[in-house]
Amino acid sequence: MIAISNLMGPSKEGKGSARWAKAGQWLFLGAIFFYLYAPIAVLVVNSFNQSKYGHNWKGFTWKWYEKLLNNQNLMDAFWHSIAIGLLAATFATLLGTLMAYALYRYNFTLKRVTSGMLFVVMMSPDIVLAITFLVIFMALGIHLGFWSLLIAHITFCLPFVVITVYARLNDFDGNLIEAARDLGASEARTFFTVVMPMSMPAIVSGWLLSFTLSLDDVIVSSFVTGPSYEILPIRVFSMVRVGVSPEVNALATGLLILSVVLVVVAQLILRKGKSQ
Amino acid sequence: MNKLLAASAILASNLAFAGDKVVVYNWSEYIDESVVEQFTEETGIEVEYATFDSNEVMYSKLKLQQGKGYDIVVPSTYYVSKMSREGLLQPIDKSKLSNFGNLNVDLLNKDYDKGNQYSVPYFWGSTAISYDADSIEAGTITSWKDLWNQQWEGKLLLTDDVREVFHMALRINGHSGNTRNPEEIKQAYETLKSLIPNVLVFNSEAPREPFLSGDVSVGMNWNGEVYMAQQEGANLEYVYPTEGAVFWVDSLVIPKGAENVDNAHKFINFLLKADVARANAEYVGYATPNQAAIPLLSDEVRNNPAVFPSQEDINNGEFHHDIGDEASQLMNEYWQKLKTGM
Amino acid sequence: MNFRRLIISVTLAWLTVFVFLPHLLLVGTSVMTPNPDHLVVWPVTLDSFEKVFTPLYFSVFWHSLELAAIATVICLMLAYPFAWILSTFNSRTQALLLFLLILPFWTNSLIRTYAIKILLGKKGLVNATMINLGIIDEPIQLLYTEFAVIFGLVYLLLPFMVLPLYSSFDKMDKSLLEAGRDLGAGTVQRFRHIILPLTMPGIVSGSLIVFLPAMGMFYIADLLGGAKNLLLGNVVKNLFLVARDWPMGAAFSVIMMLMMALMLLLYVQANRLVSRKGGLHDSNL
Repeated sequence: MIAISNLMGPSKEGKGSARWAKAGQWLFLGAIFFYLYAPIAVLVVNSFNQSKYGHNWKGFTWKWYEKLLNNQNLMDAFWHSIAIGLLAATFATLLGTLMAYALYRYNFTLKRVTSGMLFVVMMSPDIVLAITFLVIFMALGIHLGFWSLLIAHITFCLPFVVITVYARLNDFDGNLIEAARDLGASEARTFFTVVMPMSMPAIVSGWLLSFTLSLDDVIVSSFVTGPSYEILPIRVFSMVRVGVSPEVNALATGLLILSVVLVVVAQLILRKGKSQ
Repeated sequence: MNKLLAASAILASNLAFAGDKVVVYNWSEYIDESVVEQFTEETGIEVEYATFDSNEVMYSKLKLQQGKGYDIVVPSTYYVSKMSREGLLQPIDKSKLSNFGNLNVDLLNKDYDKGNQYSVPYFWGSTAISYDADSIEAGTITSWKDLWNQQWEGKLLLTDDVREVFHMALRINGHSGNTRNPEEIKQAYETLKSLIPNVLVFNSEAPREPFLSGDVSVGMNWNGEVYMAQQEGANLEYVYPTEGAVFWVDSLVIPKGAENVDNAHKFINFLLKADVARANAEYVGYATPNQAAIPLLSDEVRNNPAVFPSQEDINNGEFHHDIGDEASQLMNEYWQKLKTGM
Repeated sequence: MNFRRLIISVTLAWLTVFVFLPHLLLVGTSVMTPNPDHLVVWPVTLDSFEKVFTPLYFSVFWHSLELAAIATVICLMLAYPFAWILSTFNSRTQALLLFLLILPFWTNSLIRTYAIKILLGKKGLVNATMINLGIIDEPIQLLYTEFAVIFGLVYLLLPFMVLPLYSSFDKMDKSLLEAGRDLGAGTVQRFRHIILPLTMPGIVSGSLIVFLPAMGMFYIADLLGGAKNLLLGNVVKNLFLVARDWPMGAAFSVIMMLMMALMLLLYVQANRLVSRKGGLHDSNL
């Protein structure tokens, strides 16, 4: 580790230049984080700004939050997004955990094909995935709306759950599973009483990752959703194209706070899982 | 995990609540939202509201859903005829529209829908030029041709609407904006090609927005958008170009697969009420076809040349008509080229 | 049905119906004939692929490649030192910084794009700051330009570049560097012969994760680029949802899939090279 940090400067340096190198590193990191956070900071600040256009500060207000809560369409879309996120993350986690276990424990024909398909889902650009979903839904006659959205979201979350859980399974002692089997537990019982609890941290991270991916998605959703079930990205897309919408700032701030809370809770769960 | 599942199931069931509703698919920024609330209060019918920004997007969405999913849609003239021809619409039962008589008869029984079997006019308006009067001197821009001036390089806004943009070029070349002649369309494309270096942005969601944010100071615009920008304090001037502005009518229609047909009629009838039409007109700033609403309008709106053009400007301009699939297909192909900068 | 068969068949069924079949259909669609009423009809034809190489579509394609490539290179130039520095910190700091890197993701990317739009406007913060600093006298046009599109792409995709790079740096066997130095290799030499090859898989997979998706992010071009056809995503979206030419849209998607396959191949090669080179270095040292 020391060797690497030294690489930033000349190979035989004094203490002074090492300190300079370190300062330079922090400066660089700081600049990147500034780039990442400046736009978000603007959103958060403007969500409390009296001025609609947010070009200058005109005093503190809660009115955009009030407006947000009164904007029925936007709130509906928000709850739809949350519902899809929760459901998709949950089903993807269930399905993905089972898949990871199947890949870990059993040998079957098409095993390589299975992991290949998961890999394709993970690596395909969103736009290509979106098109494949649209094509299959049309071919199967599935109406664009809640179900098409849910299926698409579950599918694009799957590989991330599988990878997370699979890695965890690989880490732990396979003898435990054999021991459970020897004690007479069925395969299913072994899975639910031994494997699931042990991989819980990975399952939680998989869920969290899926929830994030689902909430963040724009491209797939805009292809597979219909009028009966509008979700946030679609609504926000037309709102921000229409113009300055301070409610969107309020919404973004709300989402950000929600996610920080979620991550902290998840960290606590994970830590608990680790200490056990 | 079980708890989560249960919680999300509850959430989903709550949200999938299917009450008495009507699903409206309208142009963005094309209604006074308080009108929608008023409708729900009066009738108990929930309004699910979605928006589009071009006829083409609306049409293909509808086609993809085989006419299902929406109860009311608001296509422009030429799409009314196209969609009724393709069997995407259902006839409107005028016996359920007690307020139909409020409409201006001059805007009824037009070529695109004889006898108004499928459509009820919602608004009519124009596409012309607007500029920021603070930074641009009056008289600098009087014609479509002025947009080709080199001084606007990388500065113009065009509406994201293939028919309107081509209309402009066709008029400059002395042709009808409703031409089906491939040669004339090709010539218009060549004319537009030289305009592309001037174009900064295409916007049909809210063409006023880049003006308000200061990113654009001249471009094509809709009269209602200019009115709304004026309401928001912008000093925008609206010019009917000498070659003639584009005029259009947008109509309320009910798609074939609509599931809440009764509610759709109720909503249309509600929009036809004089005071509702007035509220909408004063909010969006387009010309209302509702004759009964006009006396109710404030003088400021009624006498605003951006909202109601003079007879002379109307005569000089041209209403949009259906030009058939072949010509529109051709225009669309050129349109894609133009948007790529070719 | 026993548990084993159950989970294997569920796995296979889901992936077949929602992954394999759709991709197959996509390829199928790309060789059909477009039809305004029925989306696609027989006969099978390669017309759509031919059209890709007509000047119109090819120029969009090429331009989109260029923009995505520029965004990828900028991401790489920012992310490489970032990941490198990150890997030198102790693990707690690393975890915190990684968390900060990922945190913005919990706000929908569309909302973040909107934030950038506000920043880059003529009355936005960037212009205001530059005027205050005396760099410019009048606001300059940043929004609705290619600059804005690249800015947005880099902004949204940077973390995706950092993560794989970070994991390569993290996995790197540091003793190799020490050994290199002990043998008198200079900074540049060590970088070229040790660090760069060892982090090559990270570079390739980061670029893979950034490059292709960048071509698809239509909403960036719509919001920041003035709705011009700048990215392949805009064209594909237009072809599917506006022009209703599904075979053509599918053809572009198939080409993107092929490009992905090509880049994966490269990735596998890079990985192989690393393991071989690692071995070589070991024996040399």
